[in-house]
Amino acid sequence: MNILLSVVQAVGVVLLAPLVAGIIKTAKARLQNRRGPGIFQVYFDFKKLLFKDSVISVTVSWIFTIAPYIYFAGAVAAAALVPIITTASSGVFDVFTLIYLLALGRFFLVLASLDGGSAFGGMGGAREMFIAILVEPALLLSILTVALKAQTTNLGLMAMHAANSSLSLAYVFAASAFFMVLIAETGRVPVDNPDTHLELTMIHEGMTLEYSGRKLALIFWASAVRQLIMILLFVLLFIPDNLFGSAIFIGIILKVLLVAIFIAIAETSTNKLRLFKVPNFLAVSCLLSLLALVAQ
Amino acid sequence: MIASDLYYLMLLLFSTGVVSVFFTGSHAKLTNYIAHSIALLGSTVAILCAIFVFMQGKMEVVLPLVLPFGPISASVDYLSAYFLLILGVIGTVTSIYAYGYSREYYHCRLPLMAGLYNAFLLSMVLVFTVSHVVAFLIAWEVMSVVSFFLVNHEYEQQVNTRAAFIYIVMTHLGTIFIIIAFLLLAGGAGSMDFSQLTGNLVSEKVRNIIFICAFIGFGTKAGMVPLHIWLPRAHPAAPSHVSALMSGVMLKTAIYGMCRFFLDFLGAGPVWWGALILVLAIITAVIGVLYAFIEHDIKRLLAYSSVENIGIILLGIGAGMVFMSKQLPVLAGVAFSAALYHVFNHALFKSLSFMGAGAVLQAAHTKDIEQLGGLIKKMPYTAVFCLVSSVAIAALPPLNGFISEWLTFQVLLFLPQALTGIVGKIFSGLLIALLGLTGALAVACFATAFGITFLAKPRSKRAEQAVEAPAAMLVAMAILAGSCIILGLWPQGMLMILSKTLGEFSGLDTIGLVSRDWYILAPATGHSDGGISMLAIILLLFSGFAVGLLLHSIAGKEKTAVGETWTCGIIPNYHMEYTATGFSKSIRLVFHSIVHSHYETLVNANNNQYHGRKLFYHVRIRYLFVSALYSPINKAIISTARFMKSIQTGSVQLYVGYIMAVTVVILIWSTGW
Repeated sequence: MNILLSVVQAVGVVLLAPLVAGIIKTAKARLQNRRGPGIFQVYFDFKKLLFKDSVISVTVSWIFTIAPYIYFAGAVAAAALVPIITTASSGVFDVFTLIYLLALGRFFLVLASLDGGSAFGGMGGAREMFIAILVEPALLLSILTVALKAQTTNLGLMAMHAANSSLSLAYVFAASAFFMVLIAETGRVPVDNPDTHLELTMIHEGMTLEYSGRKLALIFWASAVRQLIMILLFVLLFIPDNLFGSAIFIGIILKVLLVAIFIAIAETSTNKLRLFKVPNFLAVSCLLSLLALVAQ
Repeated sequence: MIASDLYYLMLLLFSTGVVSVFFTGSHAKLTNYIAHSIALLGSTVAILCAIFVFMQGKMEVVLPLVLPFGPISASVDYLSAYFLLILGVIGTVTSIYAYGYSREYYHCRLPLMAGLYNAFLLSMVLVFTVSHVVAFLIAWEVMSVVSFFLVNHEYEQQVNTRAAFIYIVMTHLGTIFIIIAFLLLAGGAGSMDFSQLTGNLVSEKVRNIIFICAFIGFGTKAGMVPLHIWLPRAHPAAPSHVSALMSGVMLKTAIYGMCRFFLDFLGAGPVWWGALILVLAIITAVIGVLYAFIEHDIKRLLAYSSVENIGIILLGIGAGMVFMSKQLPVLAGVAFSAALYHVFNHALFKSLSFMGAGAVLQAAHTKDIEQLGGLIKKMPYTAVFCLVSSVAIAALPPLNGFISEWLTFQVLLFLPQALTGIVGKIFSGLLIALLGLTGALAVACFATAFGITFLAKPRSKRAEQAVEAPAAMLVAMAILAGSCIILGLWPQGMLMILSKTLGEFSGLDTIGLVSRDWYILAPATGHSDGGISMLAIILLLFSGFAVGLLLHSIAGKEKTAVGETWTCGIIPNYHMEYTATGFSKSIRLVFHSIVHSHYETLVNANNNQYHGRKLFYHVRIRYLFVSALYSPINKAIISTARFMKSIQTGSVQLYVGYIMAVTVVILIWSTGW
């Protein structure tokens, strides 16, 4: 039964991830006084890419071919671990597993970025790794604030604990810390700009420059899924006082929408940071997490 | 008893291996096959011996050797058997590998190398099994000296000799502390036999001194920061299969020594013991992986990564000691099993990496990854095995490295139960964050190492001409890669062994280590139902992969065109590829206070300012501990020697004068004036 629910929820997350990405895009456009594309545009892009031919470099090896699948598989597997419907304590829903599954995908994508043999790819890979290295301690610290309270790294129990506790100062600190991590991890302004292919600013996009057609579609989709996973973690673990019971589902959806709009606001109201200011940005997140630990 | 027969057989085989090279020495090929076959047999017997001990219980024998201090007894309990198992597995594989790799050494003193190789295995077996203080120290010393000669094998290169001397000095420094620890213990117990040694008979103060000495002594051998400086020099200097053995097994002799002292002899101590280990462990892990990341000599990179992994192992041990001193046996059991699991894992994947590096070295004749590239097409199998080892070292699921790292994370999470209050929380938080940093750096490090070595276009002629390694080496690597996968998929088997290994020590409770459901890894920490299931992770990954394939094929057959990589209209060449130095640049900048790389210079080779400039980019790293700790000591020793030199001029008259002066002083003093 657990496995079935887990599958349903993975499918749900995977299917809805582009929608959330589209909502963020539209909200951002509205905030900038543009009409923007519709919220379903990401699906259309995906369809377009699916039917395009692809160009593959002569330099690349099989790593380049399998990397998109592993990136996608990592995202899907991680999506199955997020405790939305199932909060049962089966031995699968572990937060470290989730983080390391995402890291597995990133590892292979960085390898693929080196495989093409162009400077752009390598630069994208190097920067992605740079950000990932800095994000990791901040991410773990912020998650730890919840895990230490719940005395477990089981996501279901952590979510339940968060849902049943009341709003406190510790949660305010922890949530702000995790939100900064979320921005960095999903490649958003002020850390990375998801809309640019400009050499000076790109990070994530640099890695995927060599990809085209369906493989690019897979990578896009997986990135959307990863973004939704991070938003869901934020909603489930860091916002206490959940409306548990019958309204849980609607509550989660509403909160995800709110967070998406909040991301759009944050993106519109800030500038992109210089790459070497990112450590400071994440150091603030670490400090907030430590404050949350103290405030507990 | 089968186990004791097997034990004698094993010792006999390794000794025969040492002797055999004297008879076959004139014939290189014969030496290679005979000496390494004997080592292979001996290692296989070691595995069997360990298995029989696990099945039949502790084994004790008295070796037929009479030394002045009495008979040498050997006892193989579960802890010894566990380490003997590691030695057996790694020894078997390196011996197979050596068939192929030794071809490089047909004209480079092969008999010496093969004989020392057997002696090295023999000495490590003795270190793991003897149960007498003097015998242990002799075995320990033989191991150090033999490995010194192996490190120094290619003495034509001055860098190797220097590495070997630094190694022998450091390892003896460690041995001094080990001897002190043993003598204090034996003095208290009044016996040199391991079974009589206990920390309960000495005073609190002496116990603390014993702890510090054992920690420094074994920490030196393990390569703990700041005593690690020999490791990144010595391991790359040795022949690759010996490097694999040194990293895979020899470093573990130190871990064995620590377990023996902390679990068996000393028992639970004050909290600061564990806390001290934890602090040094996390420093070791972070420093090790940082230096590994910025390194571009492939074998040095792996050596630094060993430093990092020793840090992770020590995290488990340190946490276990904290839990022991607070009487939390279940958590202590989990902590020590995390450490010992990582010991096994590290032995597997680090040996595999060193073998891969050896294959690359043999094929391309360079250890500098900036010269490599594109090897995945020339050496497809080696590339696959190296990818497996990279994923395993980077602790990514679903391979074995992930499991021990996960266990370590769990242990650190429960640390506040022993260290209560806000300090414990912050301590645990910082440890977890830094372990996360270590993990992320390891991912980046091995993405670079694999990516630059094997992917894109070859960066030099040597890399272009590389060919696949011989079959023997591939078989050896395949065995280890398979073991990494199996230990990742089915960790329960390993936990069963660990539960037996650690169950014999008081202060540890390992009954809950093996969970009820075979597919779930959930160390019963008594406070949660957290756990992971590798089976589920695999299933999820596969289904994700399948969904990806499905989406990929939803629109019918894909039309692909083949073209050059887009480089803005220029024909791509290897100069455009990213380098390892470039890859780690941003990290060097962020961590510049630890990684002093301000020796970076851009050299313009010809004088024209604008056209046809030939640029060279040099990076020199100033190592923090070398410049802050070792250089001052060096300088002090040299200036003392200078001062002594001015006294010791070598002139006889002056010495007669000294004798006169001393005699006068003594005469005056003896009159009681």
